[in-house]
Amino acid sequence: MGITKIAPTVIESVVLPKLIRLDRNLYGASFFLMKLLPARFILDRARDAGLLHEGSVIIETTSGTFGLALAMLCKLRNYKLIIVSDPAIDAPLQRRLEDLGTTVEIVREPSRTGGFQQARLDRMAEVQAAHPEHFWPAQYSNPHNPGSYAPFAELLTETIGKIDCLVGTVGSGGSMCGTSLYLRLLFPQLRVIGVDTHGSVIFGQPDQKRMLRGLGNSLMPQNVDHSVFDEIHWVDAAAGLMATRVLHKKHALYMGPTSGAAYLAAQWWAKRNPEAVVVVVLPDEGYRYQDTAYNDRWLHEQNLWLDNLPESPVRVDHTLEAGSEWTCMDWNRRTYEEVMGAPFSVVKNNEPVVSIR
Amino acid sequence: MESQFTNDSIGCRQSLSAGNSLKNQTGSLKTGYGVARAHHGELLQGVFEGPDGCLKRVLVSIPCGIYKSEVSFTPNGSDVVEIEPKWKVKSCRAVALTLSSLGKHKCGGRVQIRSNIPVGWGFGSSTSDVTAAIRATANALSERLTPHKIAALAVCAETACDATMFGKRMVLFAQREGMVVEDFRSSLPKLEILGFNTSPNGNGIDTIGFPPARYSWWEIEAFRPMVGLLRRAVHLRSPQLLGQVSSASATINQHYLPKPHFQDLKEISEEVGAVGLQVAHTGTIAGLLFDPGDRLKESRIEQAQALLTTIGIKDMWVFQTRETGLAHAKKVGKGNGNY
Repeated sequence: MGITKIAPTVIESVVLPKLIRLDRNLYGASFFLMKLLPARFILDRARDAGLLHEGSVIIETTSGTFGLALAMLCKLRNYKLIIVSDPAIDAPLQRRLEDLGTTVEIVREPSRTGGFQQARLDRMAEVQAAHPEHFWPAQYSNPHNPGSYAPFAELLTETIGKIDCLVGTVGSGGSMCGTSLYLRLLFPQLRVIGVDTHGSVIFGQPDQKRMLRGLGNSLMPQNVDHSVFDEIHWVDAAAGLMATRVLHKKHALYMGPTSGAAYLAAQWWAKRNPEAVVVVVLPDEGYRYQDTAYNDRWLHEQNLWLDNLPESPVRVDHTLEAGSEWTCMDWNRRTYEEVMGAPFSVVKNNEPVVSIR
Repeated sequence: MESQFTNDSIGCRQSLSAGNSLKNQTGSLKTGYGVARAHHGELLQGVFEGPDGCLKRVLVSIPCGIYKSEVSFTPNGSDVVEIEPKWKVKSCRAVALTLSSLGKHKCGGRVQIRSNIPVGWGFGSSTSDVTAAIRATANALSERLTPHKIAALAVCAETACDATMFGKRMVLFAQREGMVVEDFRSSLPKLEILGFNTSPNGNGIDTIGFPPARYSWWEIEAFRPMVGLLRRAVHLRSPQLLGQVSSASATINQHYLPKPHFQDLKEISEEVGAVGLQVAHTGTIAGLLFDPGDRLKESRIEQAQALLTTIGIKDMWVFQTRETGLAHAKKVGKGNGNY
C-alpha cells in the first residue's frame, strides 16, 4: 500500500481521471480519454465470455474518441479493428487510428434521416456481414458501456466521499447513466445533471446539424436511461466553446469542448448550491481542438466568439420551448415518454423505423 | 460423552514417544485460555478483486462485545483432542490443526468451550468458538499467533470464517480463503447500534449449508464504489459514510438472503434518522446504525424501538462498536434473556 506501481500498459496509467478542485465545492474529473473505461470493460467482458481471441476482428462505428480507445486496446491485445466513420473524423485522429493498425472506412454521404450516424450504421452492417466472426462493441446499446464506470465511481467515493451532484455531457449515455446508478446505491439523493446540445434528439429536440461535437446524438442510444436525470441543460456551441476556453484560462486545464459544456452547467449550479459537493466530468483533452475551440480566428469566422460567458441558462418547462441559447429544464427523473408524451421515434418517409422505449 | 478428534490432521499418526511429547518439551502441562468476541453481522458483504487480480467473496465484520466465547485447552498427554460441548466439532478440528501447525503432531487434550453467543442468528458463534479455541491452544503452548495465521487455521477448520480474529481492526476479509484482501489500517469508526432479530421465531441459518450469493456482474462492479466509500469513511471516522455503505450492501444482499420486513426497516431507518441499516448476511439479526456523537441519538433510538415493535420485532439490544466489556452493553425491549 502506498507504493507507486509501474503500469503494465498505458491503459492502466491513464484510464482513471485526475480529480481537481475547481471551486470550493466543485471538483473536475479530468480524463485523458474517458472512453478507455467502456472500451476496456467491453473487451474484458467479451474476452471472459469467449467472444474474443488473439486476432479476432472487432468492428465499430464512431467518429470520436471511442474509436481511439478501441484502437489503443486492440493494438495492445492483438485484435484487428475496423472503424466505420464519416467526414467529421479529423485527419490527425484518422492517422492516429491507422498508425495503431486500425482499418478506417469513411462514409461520404449522410442518410436522409439520422444523418451520418445512420449512414455509418448501414455501412457497418455491410462490413460486419463480410466478417461473420466479428465482435461488435456496440457502445450505444451494450450495457457494459454504462457498467464500466464503477472504477470511476470508486475513485470518487474514495477521494471525495459523499457527492451531492454529478454533471456531465450525454452522448451514448454510458458515463452519466453508469456512474450515477453506481453512486445512487450509496447516495440515493444524488442530483444528476445531463448536458446536451441543441439539435440533439436525446432529450427530445428535433434532429439538426450540431456545431458542438462530442455530445448529443442524432439517434437515440439505448444506453440513455432518461429516468436517471434530474436536470437537463442544452448548451449552444458558442457558450460551450467559450467555457472550454475559460476552463483553460482560469484553471489551466486544456480540455475538449464537451468538457467546456459540462463545466458551464456545473460551475453555474455549484455557485447556486454552495453547500453541495459537485463533480463535473471532463471527458478528454484539448489537443484535437487546437484549430477550432482554441483558435480565436476560427471562432470569429464561425460567429462563435463570445466576449463573456452567459451568466445563467434560460429556464424552460418543456424541451420544445428551448431556444437557441443555453437552456435548462427540470427533468425530474422521468422517462422520455413521460416528458415528451410519446416514446421516441424517428420518422422516415412517414413511417416510424426506430422506436426505443 | 465428549466427542473425540484424533490429531492426525496432517497425516503423521505415530505413537506418542517421550521425544516429542508436550510434557517433555515445555516442562509442564499448562492449561491455555482464549477468548473471542462475537460480531454483529457485516457492514459489507460482497465480491472484490484480490491482490492476485481474482475476484473473492469478502466481508467487513462488525465486532460486538455483547457476547463472547471463552475456551480452555488442557493438554493431557494423549493423542486425542476431546471437546465439550461435543457438537462443536469445528472447534475440535481447529485445535487439532493448531497443534499440528505448531509442530505438536501427537498432542491431545481437553477443550472446554463456554459461549453465550446465540447460534444461527448471524453473531458468528462458530468463528468465535474456533478463534477462541485456536487462541487457547496457542496459549497452552506459550505461542502467540497473528490474526492472519488464526484466520488461515480457522478457514481450514470451518470452510469459511469471518474476521473475528482481527478484533477491532477493520479488514476486507475473504471468508473462504481466510485472507485479508484489504487492511484499512484502522479500527472500525465508532458506531452505536440498535440490534434486533428480524426473524424471532426462526431457527437460524446453517451458515455453511446456505448457497453463496450469485451476484450479477453489475452488482460485483457496484462493490467497488462501496469499498471506495469505506476507505473514505475510515479516513474521516465518519459514521454517516459507514451507514451509507452498509445500507447499500444490505440492499444488494436482500436479493440473496432476504430479511423479512426489509422495506419497513429501510423506511424506519430513514424516518428516525439512523445513519444506516446493517444486516447479518448469514443470519437473522440486523441493526440500525447511529452516530454516537449525535445529541438526538437517544430519542432516535427510542423512536426506532417503538417503530420496530409495530412490525413485530421483540428482541432488541444496543451496543457501541468500540466498547469492549460486557458491562457497556445494555439489553432493551421485551423477550430477551431467553437464550
